[in-house]
Amino acid sequence: MWPAVLLVTLPLAAALLMLLWPRRARVLHFAVAVGLLPLAVSFLLQVTVSGEQQWFLGNWGPLLAIRWQADGLTTLLLLVSVTLHLLVSAYVGSIQRRNPLPAAFWPLSNLLLASLQALWLSRDLFNLYVCLELLGMVAVALVTLSGDKALRPALDYLLYSLFASLCYLLGVALIYAGYGVLDIPMLAGQLEANWLNAVALTLMTLGLMLKAACWPLHLWLPAAHASAPAPVSALLSALVVKGPLFILYLLWTTLAPAAFLPAAAYLLASAALGAMLFGGIAAIRTPYSKSLVAYSTVAQLGYATLALAFILRFNLPEFVAAMWLFVLSHALAKAACFLAIGELQHTLGARQVEQLKGASQTMPLAMFAFAVAGGSLIGLPPSGGFLAKWALLLGLWQSQQFFWLLALVVATLLSAAYVFRVVVLAFDRAAPTAPDFSPQRLPQYLALLPALLVWVMAVFSLPLLTLLKQEL
Amino acid sequence: MGLLLFDVVLCALLLTLAGAAMLSRQLVHAVTLFIAFGVMMALAWARLQAPDLALAEAAIGAGLTGALCFTALARYAGDAGYPKPKLWLPLVFVAAVSALLLYSVFQIPAQPTTELSERVAEHLAVSGVSHPVTAVLLNFRAWDTLLELLVLLLALLGARQVPSQLPLHAGWSLSVSWSRLLSPMLLLLSAYLLWRGAAAPGGAFQAGALLASGLVILRLNQQLAWLSWQNFAVRTLVLAGLIAFVMAGLASLLLPGQLVWLSWPVALAGGIILLVETFATLAIALTLALLVVGEPEQEPADA
Repeated sequence: MWPAVLLVTLPLAAALLMLLWPRRARVLHFAVAVGLLPLAVSFLLQVTVSGEQQWFLGNWGPLLAIRWQADGLTTLLLLVSVTLHLLVSAYVGSIQRRNPLPAAFWPLSNLLLASLQALWLSRDLFNLYVCLELLGMVAVALVTLSGDKALRPALDYLLYSLFASLCYLLGVALIYAGYGVLDIPMLAGQLEANWLNAVALTLMTLGLMLKAACWPLHLWLPAAHASAPAPVSALLSALVVKGPLFILYLLWTTLAPAAFLPAAAYLLASAALGAMLFGGIAAIRTPYSKSLVAYSTVAQLGYATLALAFILRFNLPEFVAAMWLFVLSHALAKAACFLAIGELQHTLGARQVEQLKGASQTMPLAMFAFAVAGGSLIGLPPSGGFLAKWALLLGLWQSQQFFWLLALVVATLLSAAYVFRVVVLAFDRAAPTAPDFSPQRLPQYLALLPALLVWVMAVFSLPLLTLLKQEL
Repeated sequence: MGLLLFDVVLCALLLTLAGAAMLSRQLVHAVTLFIAFGVMMALAWARLQAPDLALAEAAIGAGLTGALCFTALARYAGDAGYPKPKLWLPLVFVAAVSALLLYSVFQIPAQPTTELSERVAEHLAVSGVSHPVTAVLLNFRAWDTLLELLVLLLALLGARQVPSQLPLHAGWSLSVSWSRLLSPMLLLLSAYLLWRGAAAPGGAFQAGALLASGLVILRLNQQLAWLSWQNFAVRTLVLAGLIAFVMAGLASLLLPGQLVWLSWPVALAGGIILLVETFATLAIALTLALLVVGEPEQEPADA
């Protein structure tokens, strides 16, 4: 119990103390962030060795209490959240002298971590709603940190997010009315294929898709992620949109009756197709570099949604592996992309993609970080993105889905196009944009770190797959 | 028959008020109608035999939300631009969703298939309190309540990011003396609600909302100069509910026993719940009051 509780309550308690004593916030933040990392690693090892664990909070029976469950996937997500939290806050610390974020960043980012950890652990429909609500509120508050220009996108984000939460809650209420149970493992296999459950699951799915920015419900994402401060965008793109995706996975793989699966698979697959194509095209066309990365998030989430759709249709281990490998590799790669672009933007004083001209000469490190992370987004071997795409291709080949193979190839070309759009400009050294000040080394290295981690992922593919319990 | 008539009138009023609030051209009218809607909604909850919800709705939905909306209007008095709403699309959407939901509601099985309420009744004796709603909120599903307190705190933190001055008027002598008269009674009433919460409808949220309304009334009459986020004591009280909750959780892990997060021995449960609820009441009251009347000041960036 201790590691799970500490992973949630340490950031929570730290945030409370930071709000009380704002001047000590930074020291406390780093103490906690560094302390959480070994905790998450040891928890992961413990679960790997002794198998999955679960607790009923408050020690009440299965019906009364909220269930926490830690399996391989959950502990992996816990570890990735803690790692990215540490990395991003190290980045914020390293640019503190140059362009400080408001002091509210420290408690808010801790609360973000706490609500994410609570979400990964929870297996209770209503508790998941509360976690979603928390996550949405923290995310909106974090977006507003970049000042007045972010207010409009933040308000839009808040309204979309509240609407999505209410949809999800309505679905939960309908299921509770029918079965009187909120515990997901207890409900597993209980739901019949009737009208009530169809409405409930549709409402929950739409709400979650809106929160996870699945195409065509992604309209809030590009504005919100592009207007937030770069480190915040990194956290939002890498972690926050994955929360609802996790709940979607839980719902459809454990709760939903088998009769609904084909319809849901079509819905998710068409959303995925739209995301991969239109997200990619929007990323190629947008004039601003941060919007490019934000639209790329929409496109990349399409791959994970596609894998989820095929889990529902064919239930091959390849698809489960593909989905979670996409989520993990995208989290690392996108964090690197946003940090690198943030660094480039700030040093070159330019928001447009055009003005990244010659960046390979003026800021080689940040550009290298972007290119390396971009390689994983495209799916170049031997990166985490390649691993995920390979698993997806393998599954599609086995189930003979040649149309989707073609779609995947087109989507990959699109992602290559938007990554190379930046890289080609960066190598155009004829008239480079001059940096406003001499580039800082440390933040660029910190942007490079997650990009390198995503390539290391490929080396550890076997343990990763064992952890996800998917043997290929 | 009389009750049926009452219910029909209540439903008609609810729909009319909701429609009128949405369609009214002036925001001030919309807010007034919305407050009236909140009062009717509280009545509706009471008719549905959910007194806890009725109390919460009356205090928060009708009371504080109205104050919140009015202060928001006062803060943004300058930009009164309110576009005429486009009606057809939302109306079609609302009608379709309502029809869908109405049809689904009729599909709900009449007899709940679960023994959840029996299970609650069974464990009530060992929960430390005798009111089932309080037992669920503060013991069986205490984790949810802890996170809900966090949601409230986050609402305040988020609102603080959007600085705007609330124009304060010098107190009008009648309202000043009225506020002095009213606030002790509100204090007493909220303490009563809190204490009764263990055995009857009531509890931290309702008590906190009442206390908050007292604070708001006093503050709007220039009585509480100390009510500001910059004040360390105020900050401590805003966080008190969560701090007490987390400490109670840690105590549950450190006490000899089962080592489970948020599980307290029967002998201590009642006391711990009361303690947590007391601090939660203070926290909720101050958070809500700060949301309504707090003056966010642009804080200096972290040096």
